[in-house]
Amino acid sequence: MELKGYTGNILNVNLTDNKITVRKQNVDDIKHFIGGLGINTKIAAELIKPNIDPLSPENYLIIGVGPLVGTITPGSSRTVGTSKFPATGAIAYSCGSMSFGFQLKNAGFDHVIISGKADKPVYLLILDNNIDLIDAKEIWGQDIVESTHFLQKKHNNCGVIAIGQAGENLVKSSLALIDRTSTFGRGGLGAVMGSKNLKAIAVKGTLGVSIANPKKFNELFSNLLERIKNYPQRESWHQLGMMRSLPVGMLLLDSGQKKKARQCNERFYLRKLKKRRIACPSCPMGDKDILQLQEGSNSGLLNYTSSIINPALMFTLEDLINFDEAIKGYDIVNRYGLDSLTITSLLKFCTILYEKGILTEENTGIEWKTDYNTLIKLIEIITYRKEFGNLLADGWKKLAEAYNSIENEMLTVKGLDIIFEPRILRLGTMEFEQVVNPKGAHVASGGSPTYIGAGSSIEKFNIHFSRMGIPKSAISRIFTPPLEEMVVNIGRLTRYSEDWYTVLTSVGLCARAQMNRFYGLESTTDFYNAITGYNMQPEDLRIAAERTWNLIKLLNMKEGFSRKDDKFPKEWFNPLKFGDKILKFQDFFGQTIITPEIANQLLDDYYDERGWDKITGIPTQAKIRELGLEKFQFINN
Amino acid sequence: MVKESIINILIDEERCTGCILCKLWCSYIHHKIFNPLKANLEIKDRYGLAPKIIFLDTCIKCGQCVQHCLYGALRLKEEDN
Ligand code: SF4
Ligand code: SF4
Ligand code: SF4
Repeated sequence: MELKGYTGNILNVNLTDNKITVRKQNVDDIKHFIGGLGINTKIAAELIKPNIDPLSPENYLIIGVGPLVGTITPGSSRTVGTSKFPATGAIAYSCGSMSFGFQLKNAGFDHVIISGKADKPVYLLILDNNIDLIDAKEIWGQDIVESTHFLQKKHNNCGVIAIGQAGENLVKSSLALIDRTSTFGRGGLGAVMGSKNLKAIAVKGTLGVSIANPKKFNELFSNLLERIKNYPQRESWHQLGMMRSLPVGMLLLDSGQKKKARQCNERFYLRKLKKRRIACPSCPMGDKDILQLQEGSNSGLLNYTSSIINPALMFTLEDLINFDEAIKGYDIVNRYGLDSLTITSLLKFCTILYEKGILTEENTGIEWKTDYNTLIKLIEIITYRKEFGNLLADGWKKLAEAYNSIENEMLTVKGLDIIFEPRILRLGTMEFEQVVNPKGAHVASGGSPTYIGAGSSIEKFNIHFSRMGIPKSAISRIFTPPLEEMVVNIGRLTRYSEDWYTVLTSVGLCARAQMNRFYGLESTTDFYNAITGYNMQPEDLRIAAERTWNLIKLLNMKEGFSRKDDKFPKEWFNPLKFGDKILKFQDFFGQTIITPEIANQLLDDYYDERGWDKITGIPTQAKIRELGLEKFQFINN
Repeated sequence: MVKESIINILIDEERCTGCILCKLWCSYIHHKIFNPLKANLEIKDRYGLAPKIIFLDTCIKCGQCVQHCLYGALRLKEEDN
């Protein structure tokens, strides 16, 4: 049967022996794992051997796009990358957007599996059926913006995943950018590509995507488009983008950085920073920025950003004075293919260690401050692995090994720095997700009404619960927290946030709140069926998502992870001095202080809700059988 | 600058985000496939600083693309009055 929505093709590229082959998708896999993240995970489970070095030729890079990608379904442009990540050693995923996935689908592929290592730097070029590994000598050593520009000029505005110098030098926190804008691969996907001598992947397709049931699709699509058109906040999203999403200005104000807060407001952004709004293919809620500095020593500088929040968070470095310093720093980070969040956290942390006398000028060669010059210096020494930067380039785990007294102070989980600080933001599902996500501190997969309906009431929670397809039987458990005054059990709820995220990421839909909010499990299933011609039930999609998440967990059990790694950073239980305030780790509604005992109880509840063993964190035999994952089970000898 | 294009459609390139909803819909409605290369309009340099929206000679002026531009880069003339 001819597949619709799916291309049905998986491209295999072995870099070691320059071998390129194409195989067909297995229809059983589609039924069990849907696509995108799901099928990527299944492929990883079959191919990635346990305990390999993530930077060795034995590692794989698996790229996948879901069945909705390439259609006009709003926000369907997700690209998923799966691999063993060097920052954490976890087998995990990372997502990006812009035009790569769209082009890959148009070229006729659902997944690309890259293995081995090229004997010299190359880039992979996919032009429909013409697939080639091309000498990358003109761009190796160049930054991501230059490389992307080169490839897009040479290959007719293709979609591009490229790494910068940080990836080439195997910096363990390096990532890639899609179309020089969308971050792709927090946790070291850049280094994985670098270790394979793979500078970039460029793709352009001409084939188009046809669907199974246009009549049904038209009905679904026109209803959804009408809803989006009538969404009262649409204009303001178009205007402000991610600026709407995290009030960094308020954070700065609260932390006592009043002057700086003025540069982080909407007026400043619109008048002094934003040049243009751009959107991924099919997205009516575009939030990507082209920024251009209007004044100052870097006047004229252009930067494409995936989310204005990233440079804004960099601006929270206390000794950065003007926002243009943050934009400039962020731009260099992007070009080199570093992770702006990790660089920001590292600079903050090293400065604290310096103040404590643990790091000194003698042992690091740097007088640590959170100012612009030190930021630039840090970026340089990490990217090129110079001096002390060589240690930092090996990630948080190596830093902790070198200075073993500091581990307890690090704000990391499984070797990845946290993004959301719950002492400031309280404990929602995104904060909790940072603790339990198998890949380390990751927030997106913990999206839930604790964010989507910010300022939530219980009524709003319930609307979102049914939208996300949370089974009715789970609701009373979700409303049974360790202490009554907490109202909601974040541990139990997080399980369903992950499942919902996995559905979106498997079909190919954007998970950002302003797009995600228009979908529910039911409508996503309707779109899926109209596009593919299958007749899935919402429950089938939810179970496929659960199966995928359990498989990710099982893979990481084989890598040696267990409950001991789902660890709340110790620092969270200490008060945080924030401006003239002292902040404590509170529950979502601010009714109680989260103690280590409550945190532990929430973990127990999360495992219980998942059907995992509370002591080890391993999926139970019953759960493995229920999901049909016997083939992949973890046997603890 | 807002330009007048084919009958009834105003083009406001500054508001274009390169989302290609217009092109996807045009190809789908006229060719039954989502393929921007089959659309009867072109968005040049869509992620550049100054994208250009160009209606091709094949365009039959049905106005369907306008209904799918949610950014106001394509508008019906009446809407502006
Ligand atoms: S919301 Fe942003 S990331 Fe998501 S599809 Fe739209 S432009 Fe892309
Ligand atoms: S007016 Fe009709 S034919 Fe012309 S570009 Fe728009 S949708 Fe296509
Ligand atoms: S004209 Fe409108 S629909 Fe077409 S790419 Fe530009 S913003 Fe998107």
